[in-house]
Amino acid sequence: MDTKSLLQEIFRDVFDDEELEITEETTAEDIEGWDSLTHIQIIVGIEKKFEIKFSAVEIKASENVGEFIELIDRKVLEKG
Amino acid sequence: MESMEKLDEIKELLKETDLGDFGKVMKLARRYGKLDLKNLYNKKIAFLGTCSMQLLVSVTKVLLSRYDIIPEVFEGEYDGIRVEVWNEDSEFYRFRPDYVILLPDHRDVLPLPKVLDGEDKVAEGCEKVVNVWIQTFEKIHEMLPNCQILCSNFVVPFESPLGNLEANYLFSEASFYRQVNLGLIAKRPSYVTMLDMDGLASYIGKGKWFDETAYFMNKGGFAYEYMGYYCDLIARQFMAISGRAKKCLVLDLDNTLWGGVVGDEGYDGIMLDPNDAVGEAYLAFQKYILKLKERGVILAVCSKNDVENAKEPFEKNEHMLLHLEDISCFVANWQDKASNIRQIAASLNIGLDSMVFFDDNPTERELVRSFLPMVTTVEVPQDPAGYVRALDRAQVFDWLEITKEDIGRSQTYVDNRKREEMMTNYTDYSAYLEALELEGKFEELTEKNVPRFSQLINKSNQFNLRTRRYTEAQISQMMEEEHYGLYSVSLKDKFSNYGIIACLILKYEGKSCFIDSWVMSCRVLKKDVEKFTVSKLLETMKNKNCEKVVGEYLPTAKNSMVKDLYGEFGFTLVSETAEGVKTYETTETDRQFEYKIKE
Repeated sequence: MDTKSLLQEIFRDVFDDEELEITEETTAEDIEGWDSLTHIQIIVGIEKKFEIKFSAVEIKASENVGEFIELIDRKVLEKG
Repeated sequence: MESMEKLDEIKELLKETDLGDFGKVMKLARRYGKLDLKNLYNKKIAFLGTCSMQLLVSVTKVLLSRYDIIPEVFEGEYDGIRVEVWNEDSEFYRFRPDYVILLPDHRDVLPLPKVLDGEDKVAEGCEKVVNVWIQTFEKIHEMLPNCQILCSNFVVPFESPLGNLEANYLFSEASFYRQVNLGLIAKRPSYVTMLDMDGLASYIGKGKWFDETAYFMNKGGFAYEYMGYYCDLIARQFMAISGRAKKCLVLDLDNTLWGGVVGDEGYDGIMLDPNDAVGEAYLAFQKYILKLKERGVILAVCSKNDVENAKEPFEKNEHMLLHLEDISCFVANWQDKASNIRQIAASLNIGLDSMVFFDDNPTERELVRSFLPMVTTVEVPQDPAGYVRALDRAQVFDWLEITKEDIGRSQTYVDNRKREEMMTNYTDYSAYLEALELEGKFEELTEKNVPRFSQLINKSNQFNLRTRRYTEAQISQMMEEEHYGLYSVSLKDKFSNYGIIACLILKYEGKSCFIDSWVMSCRVLKKDVEKFTVSKLLETMKNKNCEKVVGEYLPTAKNSMVKDLYGEFGFTLVSETAEGVKTYETTETDRQFEYKIKE
């Protein structure tokens, strides 16, 4: 499964919505309930699933799904 | 109604949810958060803390549903303990919580000692910090005398600027936090329960517990992954608060207390050799069980064996640490374990929901789980070396306090066996009671007995007329109020001292007295205690020139044993509702009943 599909699984889980579709352009504005708390859950979900750890700078810099995907791919690659 | 069904669904899912799975725990918390439960609120709980609290409040709420507690919640602002507590007009006080949960952070402990501060200086600094917290407790208690406080201790951080010397000086940060934690234990008022977050963090490992990024980003006091454990520690205390504390450990024998099958290998063939790694593991488990017994947990045996075979190791194996007199109820036969556990509960007079079952055999565990879901069945690993950890980490025996009565209780059950043996010598029950040489005391509640009084009020389910639960704080408050009368009844006989076994809370209204609470421990059923209690009550009321005594029975799932109690004592039934609430009164305050209890 590609990063986007895995990410979509996390989003569906966090928002408890099996129909939720994300695109690279999706931001917090587009999903009802994407607030600072669900944001934490998304971050923790990603960290667990991809076995990576984000820094504060990275978390602050990621605003849409596309940026998340880029970040995840880079960190997974770094991890080797 | 729809909310109710969804809540039940969440409660079912909770049973299967691993508390270490943050994603799953949060999902249930979010589902719970969407329900409209206003009509079901049964407690008011305030959360005040230093770190960010929204997530932990939402998770604690859903975990509380396991004990049927649906709280209305007040959530303080970030870092809001001081503001809310010291402003008498705060939202927090206006909310009037039944419970307040204080969650300070080690970063609140200030000022820290300076390097090379002497012992006195450190002690003085520690006292100052501790006093700030004690004053916080006292202020809350002054404003909300009925409120019980649960407060986290300080998680001693792993950072060690002094390196290994942290462990060598009293002025080190690590030493200081520890001293503050000890100071809080020493000075804790009875209405405060400390939550051992430091113990939890140590078990998980401090290096994992703290997540600096989470702290800097969102003021999360610890790594989110452990949210479920953190909130469980808070929520679990409410098990005791809601009268669901576990009291009894039911143990299997073969391959649980010793290695091998006693029926095949004989009492000296089973594995308990202290010079063998496997034998040692079983002995370590027995040692742990003895510690549970010493703190008041009742031990029972439930084994598929012939009873003679099953008892032999206890009597004859030189390595056995547990002896027959440690076991309050010993059942060995070939019936199914669910029926046997029912029988143990009945013979000890305790509820099935206060029992914990430990058996190495997964089939037996599955059977007990499906037939007796109210019994807590501990998951047991294959390796006996892991038994202690499995039972310890199940954390089933969290009580609000340990009293002298708890420690003596398991002994009482053993003495009960001796009483029963004695009873077989008497054909006449009243002659038997006489021979027990019962001595009772009916007295006004004193300060030192408040913990036990509160425990009985909160734990008793069967002999409990109105099932009103009161915290220690509320009880202390009532003692100070003139229109309340609080009485305790204690009992001893030739075998043991039971201590306080019955409680009365009376509410005076003019020349009339309403029995707000009347509870009795089921350990002393059929010993005339209720006759003694009601006689002393009437006598006391007569001396107080009280003309009328009013009693009420509020039915619950568990208290049908006392549904006609007042009627049996000649009270007149005044009203009865469709729900079975019965009100009685009597004006015959000079009436006395016959009992075999001497004063």
